[in-house]
Amino acid sequence: MRKKHLLSLLFLTAGVALLVAALSVGAASSATSSVKKAGALRGGVLRVAQSNTDFDTVDPGLAYVTNDWTLLYATQMLLVNFPEKNGQAGSELYPEAATSFPTVSKDGKTYTFHIRPGLKFSDGSAVTAASYQRAWERNLSPKMGSPYGVNDQFQKVIVGGEDFLAGKTQHIAGITAKGLTITFHLTHPNPTFTSYLSMQWFGAVKPDMPYTTTGINVYPSAGPYYIASRDPGRTTVLKRNPYYKGSRPANPDQIVITSNTNQDQALLQTKAGTFDFDMNTVPSTAAADLGATYGVNKGRFFVGPTACVDYLLLNTARPPTDNVAVRKALNWGIDRPALLRILGKYAGARSDQILVPGIPGYKPYKIYAFSGADAAKAKTVGGSALTSAGTFNVLHTTSPARTAQAQVIEYNLKQLGLKYNDVPTAGTTYYNTLETKGTSYNIARAGWCADYFDPFDYINVLLDGRSIQANNNTNMSYLNAPALNKAMDAAAALSGKARADAYAKLDLQVMRDYAPWVPYQINNDRFFVSARTKNWIYSTYFGEPDLNALAVG
Amino acid sequence: MAAFLIRRLFWALFLFFAATIVTYLIFFVIPADPAKLAAGRNATAQDVKRVAAFLHLNVPLYQQYWIFLWNIIRHGSLGYSYVSRQPVRFLIGQDAPVTASLVFGGAVFWLSLSIPVGILSALRPRSVMDRLSMTFVLIGISAHPVWIGLILSFVVGYKLHWTPIAGYCNFFPGSSAVQCSGPVQWAYHMILPWVTFMVLFAALYVRLVRANVIETMSEDYVRTARAKGASERRVMVQHVLRNSMLPVVTILGMDIGLALGGAVFTESIFSLPGLGHDLIAANNAGDLPLITGIVVFATIAVITFNLIVDVAYAVLDPRIRLT
Amino acid sequence: MALLEVTDLRTTFRTDDGVVKAVSGVSLAVDQGATLGVVGESGSGKSVTFLSVMGLLDKRNADVSGSVVFDGRDMLTMRPSELREVRGARIGMIFQDPMTSLNPVKRIGWQLEEAVLLHQDVTRREARRRAIEMLKEVEIPRAEQRVDDYPHQFSGGMRQRVMIAMALINNPELVIADEPTTALDVTTQAQILRLMKRLQVEHQMAIVMITHDLGVVAELADDCVVMYGGRVVEQAKVTDLFAKPEMPYTWGLLGSLPRLSLVSGRLEQIPGQPPSLLHPPSGCAFNPRCEFVMDVCRRELPELRASTAPDHRFRCHLDDETRDRIRVAKKAALNPEEHAA
Repeated sequence: MRKKHLLSLLFLTAGVALLVAALSVGAASSATSSVKKAGALRGGVLRVAQSNTDFDTVDPGLAYVTNDWTLLYATQMLLVNFPEKNGQAGSELYPEAATSFPTVSKDGKTYTFHIRPGLKFSDGSAVTAASYQRAWERNLSPKMGSPYGVNDQFQKVIVGGEDFLAGKTQHIAGITAKGLTITFHLTHPNPTFTSYLSMQWFGAVKPDMPYTTTGINVYPSAGPYYIASRDPGRTTVLKRNPYYKGSRPANPDQIVITSNTNQDQALLQTKAGTFDFDMNTVPSTAAADLGATYGVNKGRFFVGPTACVDYLLLNTARPPTDNVAVRKALNWGIDRPALLRILGKYAGARSDQILVPGIPGYKPYKIYAFSGADAAKAKTVGGSALTSAGTFNVLHTTSPARTAQAQVIEYNLKQLGLKYNDVPTAGTTYYNTLETKGTSYNIARAGWCADYFDPFDYINVLLDGRSIQANNNTNMSYLNAPALNKAMDAAAALSGKARADAYAKLDLQVMRDYAPWVPYQINNDRFFVSARTKNWIYSTYFGEPDLNALAVG
Repeated sequence: MAAFLIRRLFWALFLFFAATIVTYLIFFVIPADPAKLAAGRNATAQDVKRVAAFLHLNVPLYQQYWIFLWNIIRHGSLGYSYVSRQPVRFLIGQDAPVTASLVFGGAVFWLSLSIPVGILSALRPRSVMDRLSMTFVLIGISAHPVWIGLILSFVVGYKLHWTPIAGYCNFFPGSSAVQCSGPVQWAYHMILPWVTFMVLFAALYVRLVRANVIETMSEDYVRTARAKGASERRVMVQHVLRNSMLPVVTILGMDIGLALGGAVFTESIFSLPGLGHDLIAANNAGDLPLITGIVVFATIAVITFNLIVDVAYAVLDPRIRLT
Repeated sequence: MALLEVTDLRTTFRTDDGVVKAVSGVSLAVDQGATLGVVGESGSGKSVTFLSVMGLLDKRNADVSGSVVFDGRDMLTMRPSELREVRGARIGMIFQDPMTSLNPVKRIGWQLEEAVLLHQDVTRREARRRAIEMLKEVEIPRAEQRVDDYPHQFSGGMRQRVMIAMALINNPELVIADEPTTALDVTTQAQILRLMKRLQVEHQMAIVMITHDLGVVAELADDCVVMYGGRVVEQAKVTDLFAKPEMPYTWGLLGSLPRLSLVSGRLEQIPGQPPSLLHPPSGCAFNPRCEFVMDVCRRELPELRASTAPDHRFRCHLDDETRDRIRVAKKAALNPEEHAA
């Protein structure tokens, strides 16, 4: 008995001690950790180029493009966020503004978050539950006209979302914000909900941040940085948030992003030290040379995987690709390495599945031909369906890379004795064509990147047959298998490990039994940094480094 | 003179309508759907409808055109970019000066170079100087601005560190410590773009000036001036130059108007945020308001320059009457 | 002593096709206050001769040799600055086409003033006064207003008057008029010639009248030089030339003069074309076109010989007897009434 008491006392003391330690670290993190970090990593002005494009907006209510989110990651504080860590650890969410992961009601429809006290915006005002409520409202308000906010059907996820979007209510009924507690009432149980909150749309904004259709460029934010100035089309400057007390790095004093640079010139300028790196990666033709000169991931030239998969869509609604044997044969007969080589060295890793590393449920499979086209196997698998197949319409955009890839595909088709039509299509109308029901393509290249790190975003969003409509389809292979749809529903209802396992099985099952695509590559992003740049922490989610972690001091 | 200006004004209006209507027509003939493009990847049909309503795309074409005109008349507004949602007027106002810097600065350079070289070549045909300048002309006309720009930025900017490799600085000094600004930095960054941009025009103008001067020098009134006892210098300055420059003035006006288009290459190589660059980006994104805005601006620029040229020509040559 | 004495002037042009012998040994003289008529077809070298005298040819492709003595100094060896002092001040030149010979973008007042200011040290205002005065002299109405007009605002005849004013404004001793009336109609031509005569008397200047029209020579000139193929082929006092022309070419020129007394039919022409100065014919330059040509004409260039009258010289291989005979026959054909009577 005494021993037991003694042991439990020990545990209790230890626990309390740990708790106290944790609390003191958390509370005083900026003071101590910033002193620790001061010196080698802090300071200096990080100069970033953004070639060929600009942020289309920096307003979190309107921002959709990856680069926008890369910027917002440095300036925003989310309820749950990704840490600045390399590798798999970098895609594991942790509670940032929230004290912990949410409390979920038994029916799975109510999520409650408590917000840490003492968090401040860059103008000194406090971060409260209302800050997160406002973020949701700016996303769905008809006064913002944000099409992106409704992109993933969020208005259907939250109670009262539809009414708010229709302009019937002033606030979203399903979100209650009181002091430092925010509660979300969902229309259906949705295990993906927490990961939605990791999207940059839902960073804390001041409750009085106005609705506007043009986007606000400069506003107080709660992350390690705030946007100090923005010249659309030209320069965006981030400055360190003086009120940020969290543990995330805030290494450069300022971050200056120059947009619309020329990609080749930006590489030259990075070599000369005028820029520290280019957000839009190095030109694909430069990759081989950079890799040879500087090595890969050795401090200057970085190659990192993204959450993007590149694949050939196969139109299951149109012959000859309506036949599953034909589609499987294509997965054997098309030369994946050749398709990759066209995109330059280190362009990506070969793949023949839907999910990508970092997504829960990803398990590497090798179902089909990996090291080149296997025409013999393809013919065997395809059988009579293949020999009697009609003409394949191969759609591609007119850029040199995609045209070359189409040529590879057509060569492979010829090897299998198949006929094809080459259909070059203008970039502005390419997706339009693919997304219209009844479209006449058979084989067309497409790509998909994660909006949030959940397999739902790949399998359900891209392959659920019930989502097929007249146009604007995301299920561009028009696959509609009732058994598969049911399995997708079942997987979506699970959470945790069960969910991951179910989706892993689905990933394999879809490709093995239905083969609606020929996936060929998990994309890499290739970056080159200036000599002075250190502390490269790469986010697979953004396909970019964490800006706030880069050190040029 | 008044009648001339009024007639020109009507022409200007007519051209404005013609250019903008054609732009609208082209845009809607091609199958890109701006509502789709603006709505994003995952949009459902409802979302696209929402965006279309928001962007006034759900009304017939002529009505959209009318809305466009009304915006100009009533608010002086050219609409909002589909992509960045910024007012088009603001975007053009911000980026036009960059293109203007390039074009006008380039014009100053090419004239300063081509006029003296052309005159000297004319005075000493077939001399070493003449042959060298003709070689320069050949290169200038044949080499593409992109090639010239890349070579210059690599050799002069990257290898020799004499100038910046690329980039633009605002002319007016700003308060930011991290961004370059001010007239000195502006000019320093513009040196290579100016050289790249002006090479082609300088080449053409050297030839033009040379031919004009040679031709003018064989005119009878030049002989009369000499018969009066005028020195060669006086003959050149008072009699030859003014007359041989008249065609240069005409062509200069046209070229500056057209140069707005050619500036695209130079802007692209040197990362200059000007209208040429904007136009390409807008085209790729199906950003109709911005495209139309730039078309309007370019139309006005060309009309204005032609007008200036015609008036200047009438001022310089008393034989011309403005009708 | 002659005011202007040209001795053995030779001018060649270097062209891509070869050397053009424009002037091949021309000698002539102009006396003070006298008028010398220089007659010939296009390509005879008459204009080039006097452009060479004034040094107005392009030195890069023209070679001039010989001597041109003006008031004791050889113009061909003068320094450029000395030559400029002579041009426009002591020798004035009037050109053929007044529209192209005046700067189209400068007011004529400015152009006249320029002529004054180049040689006289006066104020702008004084130069302008001089210009207006000169315009009045050449009979341009409303000179005070017209002085600010541009050349294209004048008619052809008016412009030529302006050119004359410009050539005379500094009171030169010699005026060289290169076909001043060729571009004008007959009435205007007569007016201009009258004007020039009057000015010559008033200013007491010598005139060289270059023309293809013997009628003009008859009216204005004291002496006459006939040029053909870059050479002088006959020279004499005007009265002597008309009384006793000694050379087939001169006969041809005289014969082609329109006369009121001509009965009917066509004007007599000299058949053929002027000779190529690039590859001139051997011997006498006129031999391809001469109706009296002999073998010797094709071989040998005839020297200048004297005729009966003083200062009358000509080039021809025909012997005196033959020439007399032909001359009489031609005169009869031209003046039937005269001979009939």
